[in-house]
Amino acid sequence: MTSGTGPPPKISLENITKKFTVRPTKENPEGSVLTALDGISLDMSAGEFITLVGPSGSGKTTLLDLLAGLTKPDTGRVLVDGREVTGPGRDRAVVFQQYALFPWRTAAANVSFGLEGTGSDGKRYSRKERAEKAREYLDLVGLGGFEDRYPHELSGGMKQRVAIARSLAYEPDVLLMDEPFAALDAQTREQLQTELLRIWATTGKTIIFITHGIDEAVYLGQRVAVLSSRPGRLKQIVDIDVGDRSGDEDVRSNAAFVEHRHKVWSLLHDEVRRAQEAGHAKIQPDGSAPDEARNVSTGKAA
Amino acid sequence: MMSTPTLTKDPNTLAAPAPSPATKRRGIKPRSWAPNTGAARFRSGARRAGRGIWGSGAIILFLLLWELGPIYLAPASTRVFLPPLHVVLQALARLVENGQLQNHLAASLTRSASGFGIAVVAAVALGLLVAWYRSLDQFLNPLLEVFRNTAALALLPVFTLLLGIGEISKISIVAYAAFFPVLLNTIAGVRTVDPLLIRAARSLGLSNFQLFQKVILPSAVPTIFTGIRMAGTSSILVLIAAEMVGAKAGLGYLIVNSQMSFLIPDMYAGILTVSLLGLLVNYLLVAVERHFSRWRTAVGSQAA
Ligand SMILES: Nc1ncnc2c1ncn2[C@@H]1O[C@H](COP(=O)(O)OP(=O)(O)O)[C@@H](O)[C@H]1O
Ligand SMILES: [Mg+2]
Repeated sequence: MTSGTGPPPKISLENITKKFTVRPTKENPEGSVLTALDGISLDMSAGEFITLVGPSGSGKTTLLDLLAGLTKPDTGRVLVDGREVTGPGRDRAVVFQQYALFPWRTAAANVSFGLEGTGSDGKRYSRKERAEKAREYLDLVGLGGFEDRYPHELSGGMKQRVAIARSLAYEPDVLLMDEPFAALDAQTREQLQTELLRIWATTGKTIIFITHGIDEAVYLGQRVAVLSSRPGRLKQIVDIDVGDRSGDEDVRSNAAFVEHRHKVWSLLHDEVRRAQEAGHAKIQPDGSAPDEARNVSTGKAA
Repeated sequence: MMSTPTLTKDPNTLAAPAPSPATKRRGIKPRSWAPNTGAARFRSGARRAGRGIWGSGAIILFLLLWELGPIYLAPASTRVFLPPLHVVLQALARLVENGQLQNHLAASLTRSASGFGIAVVAAVALGLLVAWYRSLDQFLNPLLEVFRNTAALALLPVFTLLLGIGEISKISIVAYAAFFPVLLNTIAGVRTVDPLLIRAARSLGLSNFQLFQKVILPSAVPTIFTGIRMAGTSSILVLIAAEMVGAKAGLGYLIVNSQMSFLIPDMYAGILTVSLLGLLVNYLLVAVERHFSRWRTAVGSQAA
């Protein structure tokens, strides 16, 4: 979308389409084909923070899976650094809503998980280097001293911090985050949002952040991409300029923020209505939705 | 006899230190409550002691009945077949003294440990393969279902016919009986790995083998150990039965042989040993299982 003269894009989605075959059910004995994503094109430059909002079922997770290399598009290409993505790699990391920590590993062992063995880039870390990295990144997410805790000994917010540290530890350029804060309480969520911005500022990662919280999308993103309800199409990209978010003032109540928020809300509102008409009764009027199918959230969504 | 420590410990520890310092330090004003807390503590301690008595009460009653029943309740003719506890304990002591019990115990332990060991290794290996390769599962599953639902002891005559009454036959039937709990639990353990963890590992670029080694296996370990614990119990059970049918040594042999030689106290000594051995093995395996499942505590709340 942002075609032009600037540097080559870090990530480039070229006319992506993704379809799923729906298994035959009683009502629909034939089975059918469901188009989850339809003709998505998007360029992101290095170091950009983009948030992706869309009604439940609009294909946000599907898009993230494509970027992560966990699935392949039916048509179109996903390019990272100009090379087509053919599978997962250490240049990209995923943070999941449900943390996905390995419960039999301590926080430090979880963080160093991605450093074990030889990576796709041929890099190998010794045990000592791994332990050092784990400590370094746990420090970065504010969990210094929690190296030996097991996941079940940590709160939800701490678990997500560990998951973020795990993703950062093998130094990917791109961070893919799928509603990472949706299961957290409001206070912890705000805290982690601020921390994420700080980490982004210090590490310069390219971040794609999926959310169904409009506030979250506007607060975090330099741009907010709005997906239409199924089939997911890129409805609009909203450039966000709410001033300095690292300061102490309450950005969420300044005029620019409110204006942007309203813009995204209006865009999403139409889509949510359409999605509801298409049978997604669970979606709330504010665009949030206890996610169906794969993400079983606790219903505490924004 | 097992209950004595819990019985005596509790009332002492709670009654002595609790009221004295607590009441004194509180001074005058809260007088009304100091005795209260003391009483409360006494009550909770008493409750704990009470639970201790209640918990071992059935055992004590049973042992008392065993000791006194044959002497005072049973007719003399029955007493011969049901000697009181102290006679059995004397027989047990004698068997330990002349080394017979140790010999039988060693024979039984060797057999059950060999059979159990073979079963665990084979069942874990096959279970991992079956769980990993769906086509192998579809192929083998019906047959496994048939074998699993055939009681091991029903096959005892077959084992005896084919392998004789020697060690191989006994080790084989133990292995057979121990095999299925481990196999089924291994399969279940691999199957129930959290798909999210697999996605996370895949997104980190793990190969199939690494995925297996670093995610699937560790997450299946607690379930596998549950199977191993069940196998331990059933391997002793089946072995004793096998030793009763044909053997020259072993606890099963001791029991049956004593019966036939009319050494009834020895027979009960053998039975007592079997049940103590069963308790011990189960206790050890439960401890091992718990050790490997430590991280599982509150895993359910992980999603919250
Ligand atoms: N593996 C799959 N098989 C069939 N349908 C799928 C699969 N994954 C996702 N879908 C469908 O694709 C649509 C988009 O899903 P998803 O990307 O999870 O949406 P979102 O994350 O925006 O809520 C949904 O209707 C979902 O049911
Ligand atoms: Mg989703």
